[in-house]
Amino acid sequence: MAVEIPKEKWTAQVRKVTIGATSEEGGTRAKTLTVGGESALPFLHYEGSFPNKPALAVEIRDRKPDDWSPLLLDALGETAEDPAKWAQAAEAMGADLIYLVLSAATADGNPNTPENVRAVVRKVLDATGLPIAVVGPGQAEIDNELIVPAAEEADGERVLLGVCEEKNYRTIVAAALAHNHLVQSKTPMDVNLSKQLVILINDMGLPLERIMMDPTTGALGYGIEYGYSVMERLRLAALTGDKMTQQPMIVDPGAEAWKVKESKVGEGVPEAWGDWNRRALNWETLTATTLIHSGANIVILRHPENVARVRKVIDDLSSATT
Amino acid sequence: MATHSVTFQPEDKTVDVPTGMLIAEAARQAGLEILQPCGGQGRCGRCAVIVEGAGVRRRSTIRLSSEDVEAGYALACQTVIEDDITVTIPEQERVERRIVTGRSVRKVELPFPYDPATMQPVRVSQLHLHPPSLDDNVDDLGRLKHGLSELGISDIELPLPLLRSLGDKLRQADWQPWIAFEMIGEEGSGRARLMEISAQAFDPLGLAIDIGTTTVTLYLVNLTSGEVLSSAAEYNGQIAFGEDVISRIVYATKGDGLHQLSARVRETIHELLTRVQKRTGIVQEHIFKVLVAGNTTMIHLFLGLPPETIRLTPYIPAANRVPPYSANELGIEAHPLASVECLPGVASYVGADITAGALSSGLVDSEDLTLFIDVGTNGEMVLGTRDWMVTCACSAGPAFEGAGVVDGMRATKGAIEEVWIHSDTHEPTYRVIGGGKPRGICGSGLISLMAELFVTGAIDRGGRVNLSLDTPRVRTGNHGPEFVVAWADETETGKDIVLTNVDVENLMRAKAAIYAGYHVLARSVGVGLEDIQQFLIGGSFGQYVNVEKAIQIGLLPDLPWDRFEFLGNTSVRGTYMALLSRQAHSRVDKVSQGMTYIELSADNTFFDAFTGALFMPHTDMSRFPSVAKIWQDGNGDEVQDEQK
Repeated sequence: MAVEIPKEKWTAQVRKVTIGATSEEGGTRAKTLTVGGESALPFLHYEGSFPNKPALAVEIRDRKPDDWSPLLLDALGETAEDPAKWAQAAEAMGADLIYLVLSAATADGNPNTPENVRAVVRKVLDATGLPIAVVGPGQAEIDNELIVPAAEEADGERVLLGVCEEKNYRTIVAAALAHNHLVQSKTPMDVNLSKQLVILINDMGLPLERIMMDPTTGALGYGIEYGYSVMERLRLAALTGDKMTQQPMIVDPGAEAWKVKESKVGEGVPEAWGDWNRRALNWETLTATTLIHSGANIVILRHPENVARVRKVIDDLSSATT
Repeated sequence: MATHSVTFQPEDKTVDVPTGMLIAEAARQAGLEILQPCGGQGRCGRCAVIVEGAGVRRRSTIRLSSEDVEAGYALACQTVIEDDITVTIPEQERVERRIVTGRSVRKVELPFPYDPATMQPVRVSQLHLHPPSLDDNVDDLGRLKHGLSELGISDIELPLPLLRSLGDKLRQADWQPWIAFEMIGEEGSGRARLMEISAQAFDPLGLAIDIGTTTVTLYLVNLTSGEVLSSAAEYNGQIAFGEDVISRIVYATKGDGLHQLSARVRETIHELLTRVQKRTGIVQEHIFKVLVAGNTTMIHLFLGLPPETIRLTPYIPAANRVPPYSANELGIEAHPLASVECLPGVASYVGADITAGALSSGLVDSEDLTLFIDVGTNGEMVLGTRDWMVTCACSAGPAFEGAGVVDGMRATKGAIEEVWIHSDTHEPTYRVIGGGKPRGICGSGLISLMAELFVTGAIDRGGRVNLSLDTPRVRTGNHGPEFVVAWADETETGKDIVLTNVDVENLMRAKAAIYAGYHVLARSVGVGLEDIQQFLIGGSFGQYVNVEKAIQIGLLPDLPWDRFEFLGNTSVRGTYMALLSRQAHSRVDKVSQGMTYIELSADNTFFDAFTGALFMPHTDMSRFPSVAKIWQDGNGDEVQDEQK
């Protein structure tokens, strides 16, 4: 007897957002990245359409990070020394988006400068044809000081700027408005707070087509179920027509997974934990794929190998039939 | 284009103006100034004028009732001239009274026709005793009892100190003594407790006291006439040890914290009592009854009961219903034998203040679905009718009582109670209680100010001050971004009066907690907010709360204004009623036993509703259609400019 799979009917879809601009569009990117547009919960092809697959961003830094796991630094090798090379390597890994994180201080401990930021952004734009994101180190005042020159330097490239938070969004949004960019709107794991910041940013005049929503998440074993639930509820609200929750979501499993003990520590842990490198890689993969299941449109990754691994999961799930 | 002749009264000035000119503009041409605190947006209603003749078109009458329009009122900033007319500009004071909506704080008047003989258990009566003689050698006490039996008192409690002085007092009074007593036990049982015997006549007095977490209020009542002789309110002296009940409980568990807290509230009561005594010249020993309401924690601290179990699951208080004690035991400066009684509470977080409020607000008599909200530090609310009631509590913080806000103050002389802000210049206009220079902002002023800052775009929907506005009123001060309401040279303190971002956050949390509370409470019994026929609102935010502004900030739901009524301090008023009448007192008892308590911390619906309400007026603007319209009118231009 044939089994009839019950189908959910949704009334709305996730908003489409395009990052990057080609030369026809006033930028210099070889290609752009469009995410969103789906009209059902992740991978349920029989309930709706999915014009864009979840995309992978690779995090790079303006200089070699001091606090990254040796496993990551080993895997990256000398590419981590130079943001241009790093961006090219990320492109070679199969990234859809280069996610450039600016440092608060230079290698010698002095505060990062607008001039430095301009130079790095220029270098990365010249090194790759992929669309890029540029975000500050995560301290309100420094972020504002560094993102404004980055936005000016990348004028017209439709860069994703960040990170907008409830306490600090005006300057970054103003820079995005002035130079035709997009913003990342980050809020601490709460449906209402996510929505509120999108409203505030939109109230400043930035169209919803230029806002990516970052609902924040935890790593596997470190609160991911809470983040998962918030993302799922945001997506359910989006599909039932709540306009301010329809932004595509970007989350950062790379940063989260590489923060936890299981991936950071190689010695003095139970033997049953197994091989350190394998464990650490898996931690990032599983965190990322879980978030993709909960509706993430872009996940940010760190380890070169994981780009291919997560891509395979996405492709397999996307091609599965009912 | 046709011109029309417009005459302004009472100045009797006439100007000719073209068709389509606003009355406000015509007045300016005539050399007259009509105040427009909101900047000519039709929001504040202060420019209302009376038009004779039909030659005008009203673009907006949002601030006017249909009776107003019929009477010829029009907003000068929203009304265009289409024919010859005469315009009367009313005196400013008349305008002020017209525009404030919902300012219905009831005066302290008798809540019901008062008959002490049937209602009041505490009385003073004169006895006419026969002096003893060799033929009539009944003892003094027997003689007293005989006299009392003529008043229907068959059984007495006589405290030892009174017995010790009985003989002297009866003789001093020449056997015509005035006796102060309280009827106790079941009604009609004839039991009384004697408190005083005196040679002189006097009226017995009583105190109704509401111990709020933030504000303590006291009424001095003449128990013979029932009238309130004087009332006073002051911040609770415990504030120094924590702003909300939880921090007070925590403080009480440390060292002699409980003792300190207990002493502080007694000091506050002493201060209030001294104040009303000075005003009225009464004798404190004539106070024979003290009735106290307050939330469960406040009652615990007043009585010196350890409150820590209130805070810990399963949240059990030492006592919801407390027997009476004497003024002497509790250190209240009344007659030492006066009884001090606390009204009964429902649960750890729904106390006697809410049962008293349910009585005085009229909820207990209501046939229509009614929501009673006590906007206090502990926001408590009751939903129901005279037949059923559900209740819950949520911690709102003291912001609406003016505490926890940099320039907040109680609603007394010198408090800014209403504010208007000009849409273009962001210059504020404010009204001060008592009319002098301002000292600070009270709850109603804070509600008004927040609403105005929001609709004029001076704060964003998240409550952050917009520092990019082109006015010195927005700036970064010691506490971060802030808005200057009054410059130092306008104030009594000689310092700027400001509202800071942190203040707005506190107010936002307070209003969000209240909104989330009644939203969840209504949902728990399956009714929508629009099904609620009346909203009765108690609280110490001030005399004149503007319903429209309270809706604009999202404290109240967007429903027709006539459903809302502000009642001032409902707790002290209910206590006053119970002090006057044993029937009212026993109704409070019954109410406290008939309420169903909903625990909001049981699941996450409250928290979700709370974070949704942490926005102006709410994350979901579609719940506030009237506010959405005003806000878009005020902010639409700006948004478009930035998009270009």
